[in-house]
Amino acid sequence: MTLIKLFLLITLFILVIAMILSFIRLIFSKTLWDKILMLNLMSAKVVLFIAVYAIYLEKLVLLDIAITYGIIGFLTMTLLSKFIMAGSRQK
Amino acid sequence: MNVIAYVILVIAWIFIIFGMITIYSLKNLYTRILTAATIDTVASFLVLFALIFVSWRIEYGFRLVLLIVFLVITNPISSHVNIRSAYLIGIPLKQSEVTTNE
Repeated sequence: MTLIKLFLLITLFILVIAMILSFIRLIFSKTLWDKILMLNLMSAKVVLFIAVYAIYLEKLVLLDIAITYGIIGFLTMTLLSKFIMAGSRQK
Repeated sequence: MNVIAYVILVIAWIFIIFGMITIYSLKNLYTRILTAATIDTVASFLVLFALIFVSWRIEYGFRLVLLIVFLVITNPISSHVNIRSAYLIGIPLKQSEVTTNE
């Protein structure tokens, strides 16, 4: 194992720990916007995880999957926030 | 090229760790959203920028640049929409300030 592979492995471990911590914060948070923020952080961390893993395995296909996951995460956050805002105005 | 990648990766670790600390330590909702979104954007930018130097090839670099541009544009937009929906129907700004000062 070369040194750059070790650095990429440490990055993967830090990203997994960050995802677990934000998931714990998502479970124990009170308001709705906290949960949306934690989902946003988790989706960004997942995109980073897939990109680092693609460079670690040297497979080009995983980078396309990372781009797709980024688009899906952005749409999820934006549409959830718009839905919460519009649903509350009708009451 | 690998030396630049090592330095940028170490800086990115520090940013990710501080982002996790701010989630647990800050009490106000708006400061938490602001700092978490900002630190997360910088950390993702740094990690992807280091990956360009790790894999020094054109077909990897093109997709990584595309991913960097997409994340830098859309991550502040989603946090802005989140803050806007929290401000319009949720917690007023003065109450949260008062509760943090106590």
